[in-house]
Amino acid sequence: MNHVKLLLFLCVLLLGRPSEAQTTSRKVSYVNHTELGGLFGRVASGVVGNETVTNKVSLTLQTFNGVQLSKRLAVGALIGVDWYKAALLMPVGAGVRYQVTRPDNKNVSVFLSGDAGYGLPWLNKSSTGYAVKGGLMLNPGIGVRLGKPNAAGFTISVGYKRQLAQVEKPLRWNELIRDESRIYNRLALRIGTSF
Amino acid sequence: MKHIVYLLTVLALALTQSACTDQCTETRVFRRFTPITFTQAQIRQGVGTEASRTLQDPGKIYTKDGFLFINEIKQGIHIIDNRNPELPRMVSFIRIPGNGDIAVRNNILYADSYMDLVAFDISDVTNVRALKRVNNVFPSGQFNGGNWWYNPNTGDVSDQRVEYVKEEVKTNCEEDVSPTWWGGMFLAADNRSFSSAQSAAPSTGGQTANGTAGSMARFALYDNYLYTVTSQEMQLFDIQNPADPKLGNKITLGWGIETIFPYGDKLFIGSQSGMHIYDNKNPQKPERLSVFQHARVCDPVVVHGDKAYVTLRSGNTCAGFTNQLDVVDISNLLSPKLIKSYPMRNPHGLGVDFPNLFICEGAYGLKSFNAKDAQNVELQEHIEKLDAYDVIPLGKSLLLIGKDGFYQYDYSNPRKLRLMSKIPVERPNAIS
Repeated sequence: MNHVKLLLFLCVLLLGRPSEAQTTSRKVSYVNHTELGGLFGRVASGVVGNETVTNKVSLTLQTFNGVQLSKRLAVGALIGVDWYKAALLMPVGAGVRYQVTRPDNKNVSVFLSGDAGYGLPWLNKSSTGYAVKGGLMLNPGIGVRLGKPNAAGFTISVGYKRQLAQVEKPLRWNELIRDESRIYNRLALRIGTSF
Repeated sequence: MKHIVYLLTVLALALTQSACTDQCTETRVFRRFTPITFTQAQIRQGVGTEASRTLQDPGKIYTKDGFLFINEIKQGIHIIDNRNPELPRMVSFIRIPGNGDIAVRNNILYADSYMDLVAFDISDVTNVRALKRVNNVFPSGQFNGGNWWYNPNTGDVSDQRVEYVKEEVKTNCEEDVSPTWWGGMFLAADNRSFSSAQSAAPSTGGQTANGTAGSMARFALYDNYLYTVTSQEMQLFDIQNPADPKLGNKITLGWGIETIFPYGDKLFIGSQSGMHIYDNKNPQKPERLSVFQHARVCDPVVVHGDKAYVTLRSGNTCAGFTNQLDVVDISNLLSPKLIKSYPMRNPHGLGVDFPNLFICEGAYGLKSFNAKDAQNVELQEHIEKLDAYDVIPLGKSLLLIGKDGFYQYDYSNPRKLRLMSKIPVERPNAIS
């Protein structure tokens, strides 16, 4: 049930925002920044001297909704979904968007983003005997926005995403404890839209 | 614009090179075995009473008349004066090589010593005396996951010393992890046909002359008999004269037998393949009524009224990947039926003081449940920072034994157990 509620909440955030912005008074300017992309990384596993390195790519989707505090700075809340290979996590948290370039009427601007929160495992379904618990999430980045300041724009961004998770694993013969601590360190490349 | 794109590209490359590597570490604790051999003389001459000593590798627990008996695996039995549960006092230690199980009737304590059964007079707990030894009745057994067996030709016992090893392995952040060489060896060893016998403690049918055992017991007292289970058989001992146990009937049970729990005039036997129910109206010769089958895992069982509570556990010597609590309707003993299963982490012993149900989760602590509604067994509290192997609920206080020590909880409020006392394990390589 929680999952359904969250999905509905996500839909509301995605679809309901633009019309809301138009009906609100001028002083409060709402911001939406919705992005889709990949989380790129790799992992080295095995014992020393016999390591295997594999590349990893995960799909990521997130939407940031907030208010414009000044011409450069917006703050808000974010929610998303990250499809890691063995964990489907839903990061929720707070974020900022800061325009680095001078606020003017140009078509191109550069922004910094900073998101932090917690990756929830509610949407995840594990194999029998496994259980994923979420963990802290940190996601700083930099990007380019193409489009006029007061209109819809297109964004490309690059960032670093750090996501922690704990995993319970089924015990095998002769084992008393078997747990895994995961730190996903990924390069986040995203495209998106912002209003 | 070109500069910005260039900057982003360089940044991306830099991040990929340096920081974008997942760090996934699996922490495992496992057993490592070393073969060891004892002669018959070493075992039989090694019995005696000593001054009390600290807990080092505790096994099963047993209680009678305010006294606790804690098995020190393969070493003997700690006797503890627990008449004041807030302040238990170590009294003495009975040295019994190869001991795992205990049962007490009146002032006679029965203990296994590898292949033998020994009866002790415990009327003076500071000077326990061996009264009688029944020789060569248990052919094989298991302690801490390591098998032992007795060779009647040489008189030697081949055993395995167990050490706990902690290991950290870098994984690929996915679910399947290839075991290391020793893990592979143990997995292969799991397929061997031999699955042990013996371990530890007793259980009773509630007679005042008997003590109370935990759910992991392999010894049980009823009427004039002591029932002991090995991996395949139930061996009865006639204890009409408690000081003089005599070999009784032997009943073949099947394979993978692990625990015995007497309830009323029935015996509930936990095995790796299911729960066996025996009618004990003729205590000399119990007869099988039915078997409740389940996946191949370990399963101690406790009973209250017309419900049996069975925990299934994988890992250890138990195959399978099932970890759960099964609540079974035994109103018709000829046809037990599963009411509902509840997922667990790594359940070991359990105890029921209806409606309270306590389940040991091994290294993952103790859980307190309300089992009033079998369709909705409700978790009331989970104490995580301890190792729990077996429990005995005594109406108000809960006796709990684990690898890190012996605990006593007051469960007047089953949603918030109160620790009354603890006797810690004191050894350098204890698992914490």
